[in-house]
Amino acid sequence: MRQRSLIAITAALAAGALTLTACGSRDDDGGSDSGNGGGGTTVVIGVDAPLTGDLSALGLGIKNSVDLAAKTANKEKHVEGITFKVEALDDQGQASVGQQNATKLVANKDVLGVVGPLNSSVGESMQKVFDTAKLVEVSPANTNPALSQGVDWQTKKVRPYKSYFRTATTDAIQGPFAAQYVYNDAKKKKVFVIDDKKTYGAGLAATFTEEFKKLGGKVVGTEHINPESKDFSAVATKVKNAGADVVYYGGEYPQAGPLSKQIKEAGAKIPLVGGDGIYSADFIKLSGAAGTGDLATSVGAPVEELPSAKEFVANYKNAGYKEAYEAYGGYSYDSAWAIIEAVKKVVEDNDGKLPDDARAKVVDAMQNVSFDGVTGKVSFDEFGDATNKQLTVYSVKDGAWGTVKSGTFTG
Amino acid sequence: MSGIGPVEPGEDTRVREAPPPRPRGRLARAFARHRRAVLVCGAALLALAGGGYLYASRPQPSPPPPPPYPSQAIDLVYGAPATGSPEPAAGAFTFVVLLSVRSGPPVTVTRLTQPYDGLSVTTSPAAPFQTNSHSARKIIVTLRVTECEKAPRNPGLPFLDVTLRNARAIEAHSFILGTRYARDLSKALEAACGRDSR
Repeated sequence: MRQRSLIAITAALAAGALTLTACGSRDDDGGSDSGNGGGGTTVVIGVDAPLTGDLSALGLGIKNSVDLAAKTANKEKHVEGITFKVEALDDQGQASVGQQNATKLVANKDVLGVVGPLNSSVGESMQKVFDTAKLVEVSPANTNPALSQGVDWQTKKVRPYKSYFRTATTDAIQGPFAAQYVYNDAKKKKVFVIDDKKTYGAGLAATFTEEFKKLGGKVVGTEHINPESKDFSAVATKVKNAGADVVYYGGEYPQAGPLSKQIKEAGAKIPLVGGDGIYSADFIKLSGAAGTGDLATSVGAPVEELPSAKEFVANYKNAGYKEAYEAYGGYSYDSAWAIIEAVKKVVEDNDGKLPDDARAKVVDAMQNVSFDGVTGKVSFDEFGDATNKQLTVYSVKDGAWGTVKSGTFTG
Repeated sequence: MSGIGPVEPGEDTRVREAPPPRPRGRLARAFARHRRAVLVCGAALLALAGGGYLYASRPQPSPPPPPPYPSQAIDLVYGAPATGSPEPAAGAFTFVVLLSVRSGPPVTVTRLTQPYDGLSVTTSPAAPFQTNSHSARKIIVTLRVTECEKAPRNPGLPFLDVTLRNARAIEAHSFILGTRYARDLSKALEAACGRDSR
């Protein structure tokens, strides 16, 4: 009998162990399906970005990141009674298409906010349409200062549209930041400035040039390129003959990559420097080995410095998107989340329901949104610009962009 | 009653005697001798294994997040030109910046420089100096013009370059102190070198 007792005790212990294991309170997720939301009302977050064409790498990163934000909000039931959906439209990088998309998004009464666009020129064409409909627009990538501070931003800042916000830092800081790095750190004193004549490219080149000259640098030549072309050999020869020790390009990677390659082929072994528009893996593909040593400034701190960004990167990977989140992924997620926060405020202030004038209320709520996002603290100043203004210089090394130097605007 | 009684032993139905027990092996004999001890030890081992498994598979508290990078934990903002004694020397521009540590462990400023040729910089307190979390300190910065020829004319968004260290990392970071600093610096440079001295 004693032996039996011992066996029984042992069996009981083992059974207990198994039971406890089975009942243990591991940190299981236990959440609902990411697609399932809080039920009730559907709120659509519009996306406008180039989803096809040369700039689609950046545009698809924007779209996917907004989708991730909506799925996260639905999974967490972040706004009780609201399910977020995403409607993404392709502007092909064209201002006229962007304007048509704006009209289409305004016509959908479920759309309470729009993330986008990528290009400042497209943003310019959409602002009035959205503002008239009191539909909030948050761009993760527009950097032209005039969009939020008016065309005379250098002398007198006036906000043109109340419904326009952005999470990206403006070229009023990005251009001078690049000039300071090129002149003081890289010790380049003679620059050849090229732009693509577009709102973003020309604006960025202008703010760079102004600061570079103030610092004592010399502009040895300027040129504009046709963004439709891929043959820049004539400009490359001019760069070579001008004796520049650096090229600054205001524009985007589809042109910047071949331009860098052709400048080096023409015999000018000097770095090409650009803004966030060339900070893409596709720039390196297009420039080939000639791109080594080229530089780009981009908005925000490097991902590895932001724990919140690391979480975003992991979630993005787990979500299984085919395309990379690229330069504006974190800013797009934060833009979408700002809309979600504004909707939450509006719903909570109206006894858990959307009011009839929800769009106007969301615009008002957006002005006071504040949260810890992927890119740091997200809030907006009196012009609708991000209050968090960080920038980073990257350079191409061993076929990839690497961090060189970061800066924070604290003025 | 079923009518079926016990079967009486008949021919060839006698109960055979059980065969003598087969000689047992050494292990079996040892087990027989120490049966109690073996079972106790076995049970103890099982209990230990069960306990060990439970301990190993207990819900783990998630590890605390690593401290932030120093540049993400501090604010460095321009205050104003320094006033009072001692009077700044000719060709010098003295001003106050405010450093505050928002979160994480203490942050040490190991170096504070400015990027322009023709200017030198000193600070009070002199680097390195440490600032605790959730506290702030004033730093008095003095820029001196060493060569007007090389000094900038009127930089639009001048930097201070600061090397920061905390338990997470050492990193160099630029702080762009804004238009007020740019204006005051330009005024000071103009006073030191004249408008068209370059």
